[in-house]
Amino acid sequence: MVKVGIPRALLYYQYYPMWKTFFEGLGAEVVVSPPTTQATLAVGSSRVVADTCLPVKVFCGHVLALVEKCDYVFIPALRSVKSKIYNCSKFLGLPDMTRAVIPECPPILDIDIDINKGKRKLYQAIYSLGRNLSWNPLQVRKAALAAWHAHQEYKELMINKGLTPPQAIARISEAATPSPNPKQAAIALIGHPYLLYDELINHRLTHRLEQAGYRVLTPEMLTDEQLETAITRLTGKPYWTYEEEVVGSGGHYLESGVEGVIGVVAFGCGPDSLMMDMVQRQAIRLRTTPFMSLTLEEHTAEAGVVTRLEAFLDMIQRRKRREAKVCV
Amino acid sequence: MEAYLGIDVGSVTTKFAVLNQSDELVFHLYLPTQGKPIEMVQEGLKEVKKQLPKDIDIGGVATTGSARYLAGVIVGADLVKNEITSHAVGALHYFPQAQTVVEIGGQDSKIIIIRDGIVTDFGMNTVCAAGTGSFLDHQALRLNMNIEQFSQRSLESTTPVRIAGRCTVFAESDMIHKQQMGHRTEDILYGLCQALVRNYLNNVGLGKDIQPPVIFQGGVAFNQGIVKALREEIDTEVIVPPHHEVMGAIGAALLVHEETSASKQKSQFKGFGISEIKYRTSSFECKACPNLCEIAQLSLNGEVLARWGGRCDIWERSPTS
Repeated sequence: MVKVGIPRALLYYQYYPMWKTFFEGLGAEVVVSPPTTQATLAVGSSRVVADTCLPVKVFCGHVLALVEKCDYVFIPALRSVKSKIYNCSKFLGLPDMTRAVIPECPPILDIDIDINKGKRKLYQAIYSLGRNLSWNPLQVRKAALAAWHAHQEYKELMINKGLTPPQAIARISEAATPSPNPKQAAIALIGHPYLLYDELINHRLTHRLEQAGYRVLTPEMLTDEQLETAITRLTGKPYWTYEEEVVGSGGHYLESGVEGVIGVVAFGCGPDSLMMDMVQRQAIRLRTTPFMSLTLEEHTAEAGVVTRLEAFLDMIQRRKRREAKVCV
Repeated sequence: MEAYLGIDVGSVTTKFAVLNQSDELVFHLYLPTQGKPIEMVQEGLKEVKKQLPKDIDIGGVATTGSARYLAGVIVGADLVKNEITSHAVGALHYFPQAQTVVEIGGQDSKIIIIRDGIVTDFGMNTVCAAGTGSFLDHQALRLNMNIEQFSQRSLESTTPVRIAGRCTVFAESDMIHKQQMGHRTEDILYGLCQALVRNYLNNVGLGKDIQPPVIFQGGVAFNQGIVKALREEIDTEVIVPPHHEVMGAIGAALLVHEETSASKQKSQFKGFGISEIKYRTSSFECKACPNLCEIAQLSLNGEVLARWGGRCDIWERSPTS
């Protein structure tokens, strides 16, 4: 059986169930690189120029982990998924960049996704991708439709059940995951999935919040309408692809009654520096929900994240205690 | 007499503060950490014991600062608290009306925004330590003066030069360039103070609503040049409290007093005798997974007291196994 490798990085958390269904529908076996480790980051960093952002370094590490483990590696060039809204340049050139820096990479299955070129071009692109594994156009069509359904189911699981992407992926593969308790005090984490769910680069942020007794809410648990409403309120019209994850979810959660909102950004990310600033300004304007932004880099020591997180939780708790005293 | 002890073990200095039952500061101590946090905590305790009355009863001990967990295990802390909360609590104790706390230490700098006596926002320098105490120390050393002379001479500046404070590497080459062009040392020193203040406000203070009164804490507040530059730049009231350098330790002591009086528990403090004990630290690489975490451990007579540094809980959970 043909093996298709999928790096557990960047867009993995958004689209994995869809991609897996598509390739399996074409008779391939899907291999995912193991979770990020210090070694993944180290080998990834060694391939790219120092100024490359942390998530891309991690991505290269995951591609390297798939070398000799599969026949193809799937790396899409996701240019645009909404009319006239484009992605960061690192996503646009991801397959080409990978080819250039990892020459030993197995053949790359790439696809250009650009909604602006019309649906017809998109279908053609999907068909060309499928043709790498099957000569039968009907089978490609069937696999693509199944993939689309899998994606919808995945999204619903996160929106309706309040699961994070890793929990939803585990649920799909039928591992038992605890269902969150909607009454528990919650903290919202906002930012791109490749930062929020990579436990190595974020120093187990979700785990730490759960240990402190909070339920963690993330952008994927919101509906498209909720995200769009919040973006319209904050900036008018989105400019960047995945602006929902930052501005949309940030704007929504700041007014949702959560205990606090934590924005996670990668050091040196251009789009994030603009988007997270919008959320920070909104937090200052509203003054209702505590907000903090955390910048992630290659630091191996956890102290930076731990100190800020402790101070943030203290701030929330002391504020609550004070409010309780005033009420009495 | 019942007393509460706060210990702030920072990257560059170690601070001790002892408060009495009515939260008045009865003794404080400021020592260089010199890269030896354990020895410095022990030495400090020895000094604290010497200075305090014999009948002293320690009602609670709290540790804070970047070595708070390590120090906490050594002294048997009742509370281990991050330095942001400690500084805010310390500042509010003396200035209940404070709205902003600026804290610049040896390796990090923070801003804390307070409204109506509660912290509403804070910021900390992100990925680099540009513009903190260590850099000022380094520059003083390069110019062959001590940090007190640096502070005094920067005030004598008449026409400060403009220095890029964005990054300390740039700042240093800018300073050398200006010095080789013949600018006066005083003007270069004050120019550096202005650059660091600008950098602080543009980085740590970015997007923060700085309102007076501003309380300036931490070791760098000793530096008159920085204080003057901060006052000029934000053009508002800046208060440097009398014990600004030990404010984190004071805050920690206040917090442990608050906590022990609420819980009525007896202190876990291991006593002043621990300053005589020989602790051993060592480290190893965990091979349980490809992360290869560097685990540091603290042991006494062959028994492991604590372990840190793992990316999972396997070592932290079982300090004795």
